[in-house]
Amino acid sequence: MSASDEAAVADRKGSRPLIAFVLRLREAGVLVFLAALGTLFAVLTHTFLTTQNLTTVASSAAILAIAACAQAVVLLTRNLDVSVGSMMGFAAYLTADFAANHPAVAPWQLVLIPLAIGAALGAINGLLVAYGKVPALIATLGTMSLYRGLTYVYAHGREVTSSRLPPWMLTSVDARIAGVPLLVAAAIAIVLAVWVFLQYFPWGRRIYAVGSNPLAAFYFGLRAERVVLLAYVLCGVLCGAAGLLYAARVGTVTVVLASGWEMSSLAAAVIGGVSVSGGAGSVIGAALGAVVLATIDNGLVLLAVPEFWRMFIQGVAIVAAVAADAVIASGIRASLRTRGAR
Amino acid sequence: MPDKGQLDWPETGPLAVLRLEGICKAFGPVHALEDVTFDVLPGRVHGLVGENGAGKSTLVQIVTGLAQPDSGRVLLAGQPVRFRTPIEARAAGVAAVYQDPKLFPHMSVAENIALGAYPTLPIGVINRKAMHTTAAELLRRLGSDIDPRALVAGLSYAEHQFVEIARALSADVRVLILDEPTSALTPAEAERLFGVVRTLRDRGTAIILISHRLEEITAVCDDITVLRDRRHVATMPAAEVDRASLVQMMVGRPLETLFTRRATPALGEETLRVETLSLAGVFADVSFSVRAGEIVGMGGLVGAGRSEIAQTLFGVTPPSSGRVFLRGREVHPRSPGQMLAQGLAYLPEDRDRDGLIMPETITHNITLPIVRTLARWSFVDSARERRLAEDASATYRVLTPSVEQIVSSLSGGNRQKVAFAKWLTNDPAALILDEPTHGIDIGSKAQVHEMIAQLAGEGLAVLLISSDLPELIAMSDRILVIAEGALVGEFSHAEATQEKVMMAAAQQGARARP
Repeated sequence: MSASDEAAVADRKGSRPLIAFVLRLREAGVLVFLAALGTLFAVLTHTFLTTQNLTTVASSAAILAIAACAQAVVLLTRNLDVSVGSMMGFAAYLTADFAANHPAVAPWQLVLIPLAIGAALGAINGLLVAYGKVPALIATLGTMSLYRGLTYVYAHGREVTSSRLPPWMLTSVDARIAGVPLLVAAAIAIVLAVWVFLQYFPWGRRIYAVGSNPLAAFYFGLRAERVVLLAYVLCGVLCGAAGLLYAARVGTVTVVLASGWEMSSLAAAVIGGVSVSGGAGSVIGAALGAVVLATIDNGLVLLAVPEFWRMFIQGVAIVAAVAADAVIASGIRASLRTRGAR
Repeated sequence: MPDKGQLDWPETGPLAVLRLEGICKAFGPVHALEDVTFDVLPGRVHGLVGENGAGKSTLVQIVTGLAQPDSGRVLLAGQPVRFRTPIEARAAGVAAVYQDPKLFPHMSVAENIALGAYPTLPIGVINRKAMHTTAAELLRRLGSDIDPRALVAGLSYAEHQFVEIARALSADVRVLILDEPTSALTPAEAERLFGVVRTLRDRGTAIILISHRLEEITAVCDDITVLRDRRHVATMPAAEVDRASLVQMMVGRPLETLFTRRATPALGEETLRVETLSLAGVFADVSFSVRAGEIVGMGGLVGAGRSEIAQTLFGVTPPSSGRVFLRGREVHPRSPGQMLAQGLAYLPEDRDRDGLIMPETITHNITLPIVRTLARWSFVDSARERRLAEDASATYRVLTPSVEQIVSSLSGGNRQKVAFAKWLTNDPAALILDEPTHGIDIGSKAQVHEMIAQLAGEGLAVLLISSDLPELIAMSDRILVIAEGALVGEFSHAEATQEKVMMAAAQQGARARP
C-alpha cells in the first residue's frame, strides 16, 4: 500500500456518507409517500383512480404548486414569506379589475400585470428582510396585512364578477393540450422553469448557497443581501402568476382571494422536503407536496370523511415532515462542527 | 533601528508579491491594527505569528477584502489594490483558507469549488462537465481522491480542508493564506497538507501560514513576521530565529493598567478540586485545585480548551469522566442551575451573548439567578428585588443613573460589572472568570482587576481564564497552562514569566484529542 493510498484511507475516516445519502433522498421520500397515499385511496374507493378524478386532483394542485414553489424559493435562503396569499390576492384583484375595465386588452399584455405587481410586492419584502434586517416572519407578517389591506381599500367592498372578465380568460384555463388542462400544463412549465433556474444557473445556485451556510457565504464573499432580495422578487412574481391563474379559475374575484394560502404553501413546501433551515429541497419537491395535499383533500371527499378531519390530517403530515427535517438538519450541523471544539 | 518590514534581499531579488504599507484598522474604539508594514515574497512560505489578539485575523480580513483598512495600502505585485469582497480578492489571486472550513454542506464538492466563478455555456447555464473536470483536476493536484460529485455534508473534517484549498487554488492563486490549517488535523494529515504547501511554493506561490504551533512555523516557513499588540514587530528569514527568540518577540507586552498586587494572600481551605476531568475529544485528564482566597490563572491559546473546561465544571457540557469536589463534597456537574446552587459561579467569555440579557434592565439581570428566592406567594417582591439590585450595583460600582437602565445601553466595562453582580448575589464559594477584561476599556479593566482581588480577599476561590499574558501573570497566585486540551504546565506567581507561559502554551504534541 503506497503512502498516498494510506492517506486516502485516512481521509475516508470520519466521513459521513449517510447524511449525504439522506440529503439526496428528499424528493424520493415525497414520491414514495404520494404513491402510498394513492394506493390507499385506490383500494378504499372505486372512483379515485379514474382519469376524470386524477385530472381534478391535478387541477386543484396546480395553483398551489406554483404558490408552494414561490414559498420554497424563499425557504431555501433560510427565510420565510407569509405574505404569499396576500400577494396573490392583490395581484389577482388588480388584474381582474383592469381586465374588466379594458376588455380589449391583449392576453400577453394582461399577463404582464400580475407578474409586475408580484415583482414589486416581493421586492418590498426582500428590501425589508435583506437590507432592513427585519426578521422574515415579522416583515412578511406585516406586509401580509398591508397588501391585503390595500386590496380592501382599492376594492371598496366590490368584487369582479366573471361576467365582467374577458371570456378568453375564463375559457383558457379549461382548454386542454393533448388532454392535459392548460392550468396543469402552465403549472408544470412554471415549476420546471424555476427548477432549471435554481439548478443550472449561477444565481440560482447562490440562492442555495446563502441558505446552506450564511457564515460560509460571508467568508466566501457572496453578497447575501442581493441573493435574498432576488429570492423574494422571484417569490412575488410566482405569486402574481398563481394569482392570475386563480382568478381565471374561479371567475369571480373577491378581496379575500387566496386568504390562508401562506399556510398551505408553507405546508406543501415542507411536506415536499424543502428544509425550513435553508439550503435543502427543491421546487419540484414543493410542487409534489402540493399534489400530496390535493390528493389528501380529494381522497377524504371521496371517502366522505367530515371536512374537519382534513385540517387534522394535514397537520399530522406537516409535523411529520418538519420532524424529519429537524433530524436531518441537526446531522448537517454536526457535519460542520470541527473536531476540536472551540 | 525600527524594523520596517522589508526583507534584506539583494538588488536582484524577487519583487514582493504582496506588500502591506502602514495598515491601520479600528473596530469602533478598539484598535485592531496599528501601522503594520511588511513584504511577502513569491515562492516563499511566510509565517505569521503573534499572541491571541495580536491582529493576525484582522490582517487576513483586510488582505482578502472582508474588511477595509482605515488607512494604509495593500499592494499586489507593486499595484495598489482595494478588494471589496473575497470574490474580488480571489479573482486577483489572493485567497484564504480558514481554521474552520467555511463550506456549503448541501452542495457538491465541485460546486463549492466553482461557486464564485462558474464555467458557463452561452446562455449563462452552468457548464457542469467543465466544473466537475476542473474540480477533479484541482483535487488531484492536492493528491486527494475526493469525488467532485459528492456532497460536502458527507465529508470528513480533513476532506473539508482540502476542498477549501482546492477552491483557493481555482483562481490562479498568487498569495494563499492558511489560517491555523492544522489545528484539527492529525499529524499525518498535516504532513500531507505541508507537502502541498511546498509544491505550491516551488511553483512560485507565496503562502502566508498562521499557526500557533511554533515547531510548525520554524519547520515549514522561509520567512517569519511577528505581530504583537496589534503592531508589527519584525520580519526576518526563518533561519535567523529559533523558537525561544520568537516567543520573546511575541510576548513582553506591558500591562496596560496600574495594577498593584495585593499583599500575600491568606489562603484558606481547598474550595474547588478537579481530578482527571475529561471531555471526550475536547480535553483530557485535567487535575487542579483552587483554595479559598486564591486566584488561579489559566493560560493558553484560543481553542486550547480552557473555556470548555470551565463550561464542563459549570455543568454546561457534563464531563465524560473525572471527579469534581466543591468544599470537600463531590459534585456531579449536570446543569448550570445545579452548579450555581452548589456554590460555583461562571462568568462566560462572551457576556453579551451568554452572560447577560441585553434588552432587560440591570435589576432583572442581577436578580435573575436568585429570582425564585425573592418570591412571595409566588409573585416577585419587586421592592426587595430593586433594593437588592441597587445594593449590588453599588458594591460593584456600576455607573448608571438607575438600576432600571437597559443593559444594552451600558458600556462594556459596566456590563461586565453587572455580570459580576449577577453571579455574585448568590454568594458562591468558587468563581470562574472567562476573559473578564476582554474588549473593555483600560479604566474599567483596572476596576475589574481590583474587584477580582477584592473578591479573593473575601475568601472566594477564583479561577481566572485570560489570554492577556501580563494580566494573567500579575493577577494570579498560580498559573496553569492548557495546550490542546491538556494541562501542560504550572507556575507559581514568582516563577511565571510571559516567555515561560507562552512557550508552554505553544507546544505541540500535548494533544488530548483523538
